[in-house]
Amino acid sequence: MKNKIKIQRAIHDLTQADLAEKIGVSRQTINAMEKNKYVPSTVLSLKISKLFKKSVEEIFILDDND
Amino acid sequence: MKTNYLLPNKYKTIGWVLLVLGLIFGTFIWSTEYESDLLTIKVLSIFNDDQLFDSNKKLFKIIKNDIIDELAAFAIIFGGLIVGFTKEKIEDEFIYKLRKDSLVWAIIFNYILLAFTIAFVYNFTFFHILVFNMFTPLLFFIIRFNFLKFKSRSHEE
Repeated sequence: MKNKIKIQRAIHDLTQADLAEKIGVSRQTINAMEKNKYVPSTVLSLKISKLFKKSVEEIFILDDND
Repeated sequence: MKTNYLLPNKYKTIGWVLLVLGLIFGTFIWSTEYESDLLTIKVLSIFNDDQLFDSNKKLFKIIKNDIIDELAAFAIIFGGLIVGFTKEKIEDEFIYKLRKDSLVWAIIFNYILLAFTIAFVYNFTFFHILVFNMFTPLLFFIIRFNFLKFKSRSHEE
């Protein structure tokens, strides 16, 4: 699964730490998601989408391996 | 992230102190060939056979024993459990995954290593392997978990 967290973060001018604090996770989690090393749970995906006021599909995209 | 088996983060320091003390004492006891005589007291032995192949095995007997090695083992076990199973400062699903992955890694690594020593280490030396193996699954888990945490922290944005 790919995601556009980094892009959305840039648009909203947030650092990894800012975003982590806003959704209540560690900075490592944001870092791992942006590097596609960690696929977030549904709950976390929904929280991120809600924060950026986007639908989940606009931020998280299935890729060929899924 | 809700988990029902993790202790609060504040216990982590106590865990590290216990674990390190246990390891220091454990190494000391191991280096003196388990012959220390610092804390000999009477203890209850549930099953006792002093000599190998002794025919009169006794149940529930009071015997004398130096308990320093028992204390060191307790310190390593409980210290290790506390270190491995207390919450991080920010406990979330990614940390939870790292912990689970580390546990799986530690079990597999430990038994591959044990299988290797079964094949290539013989006689009394193997006794040391058995002693180490009481603690290595927990220690490998702690090392792996902290290594993964450190690795995921090190690359800044």
